[in-house]
Amino acid sequence: MLIEARNLSYEYMPGTPFQVEALKNITLGIEKGSFVGIIGETGSGKSTFVQHFNGLLKPTSGQLLVNGKDIWSHSIDLRALRTKIALLFQFPEHQLFEETVFKDVAFGPRNSGLKGKELAGRVRMGLEMMGLDYEIYRDRSPFTLSGGEKRRVAMAGILAMSPEVIILDEPTAGMDPLGRQNFLEQIERLHREENLTVILVTHNMEEIACLADKLFVFSRGKIVLQGSPGDVFASAEQIREIGLDVPSLTRLLQELKKKGKNIRTDLFTAEEAAAEILCRLGGRDRL
Amino acid sequence: MSMQSITLGHYIPGNSLLHQLDPRVKLISLFILIVALFLIKTFNGFFFYIFFIGALFISSRLPWKYFFRGLKPVLFIVLFTLILHFLFTKGGEVYWRLGALTVEEMGVFMGTFMTLRLILLVVTTLLITLTTSPVAFADGIEHLLRPLRPLGVPGYEIAMMMTIALRFIPTLMEESDKIRKAQMARGADFETGNIFRRARNMIPLLVPLFVSAFRRADDLAVAMEARCYRGGEQRTKMRELKAHFLDYVGIFTVSGICLAIFFTGI
Repeated sequence: MLIEARNLSYEYMPGTPFQVEALKNITLGIEKGSFVGIIGETGSGKSTFVQHFNGLLKPTSGQLLVNGKDIWSHSIDLRALRTKIALLFQFPEHQLFEETVFKDVAFGPRNSGLKGKELAGRVRMGLEMMGLDYEIYRDRSPFTLSGGEKRRVAMAGILAMSPEVIILDEPTAGMDPLGRQNFLEQIERLHREENLTVILVTHNMEEIACLADKLFVFSRGKIVLQGSPGDVFASAEQIREIGLDVPSLTRLLQELKKKGKNIRTDLFTAEEAAAEILCRLGGRDRL
Repeated sequence: MSMQSITLGHYIPGNSLLHQLDPRVKLISLFILIVALFLIKTFNGFFFYIFFIGALFISSRLPWKYFFRGLKPVLFIVLFTLILHFLFTKGGEVYWRLGALTVEEMGVFMGTFMTLRLILLVVTTLLITLTTSPVAFADGIEHLLRPLRPLGVPGYEIAMMMTIALRFIPTLMEESDKIRKAQMARGADFETGNIFRRARNMIPLLVPLFVSAFRRADDLAVAMEARCYRGGEQRTKMRELKAHFLDYVGIFTVSGICLAIFFTGI
């Protein structure tokens, strides 16, 4: 198990009237090379939870283990850990600060001790992974870029650290559909080709259903459902109860099944679903 | 710069007598009480004052620890005052002597007296700030500054700026917390190194924070203009300040106490 939470709880502002129990007794495991989706309504604790993975938050009680070691035991160097388990916050373009794109992307790898050619190589790699041309962008000021470009630069800054795990907190919030699709395709490719472990926090069900191989559903600081997208979205009732919804494709398939059609409901791409519908209902068996 | 530190001198919601009083009454009372505190000449006066403040404190049902937390920042000044007076104010009987150093009767008296005055000053202020919401405060200040308008004191604008500033403190705290974490996730180090190194290391935090503060200010200005905001004259309020019976009782009691202290000379 790469990352493991054991009975992890977290409270905001303990000991004041503003005390909030954000996470309650969470136990879960994330395997190397997997693509994990964490979904939940706004304020369900999902963002708070992922900030434990690289030691940005310290659990009020319980443990967080990486490669079987408690990260809060004193032998662990948290700064080194953070370059291995990278976290991209929501609206990451707000964290840009340097004069040039090059310097900003280089910030992460430089902090882990890289210099000169190696550093430049990493910056080039990061930018190119995000589809940004190194020569064109390296000397531009990040503040003159468009919103979409800024976000890709921020993401490049994370990738340039060449992490083993990447945690993305609502990475596509506020992006247009095409930008969204491109971005997710890049992530998917990295996951497939570089065996990058990806943890994606979102409340966009369509997005996560066809990407993740395991889902954890958070509600009010607890895990209420977990399993493959197929298993999780099979409990459509429960998903709606906590204020989320199943992908519209799943809803269509589930409605068809309710009408007595013998049809699979665990398909999440339009192509697969269309093929299934055609195959099961084609010609002789009309609605 | 954690979220925990903002509770200092922060408003604690409630519905006690003190919470319900008109903010103008509380501001004026605070002023009168501070005057009274400086008129007190004897320890009997302090007992009388403490009795009054203590009753208000108990009725406000504020947790004790907020007062201790509020007193912490002035602890140094208080101790400093106490020690200075003990060692250097001379007069009366000599209690203790070590070489040239003496602690004399006058010093002990003045030291305790001044310390008590300082502590009570802070406690009285805390009692008001902990029970008054910042918005009510700004409203009260605006109202009290109104008579100075002809003299060119922009009471309304001052109140608006205060309200906006107070409104954005938690937002900017949250923002700085977020940016700090985002940079830490990229291996930034805010905790080690000497002072120059640390100041340099703050750049990744400060630049985005300034950028975002200006962005927010811009957004707010646009949002206010889109709602046809123009301050000052003829603007109505959602919550009109209205003094009730209890407010008059409050003002009279406090004034009475101040006058009593002045005329009895305690």
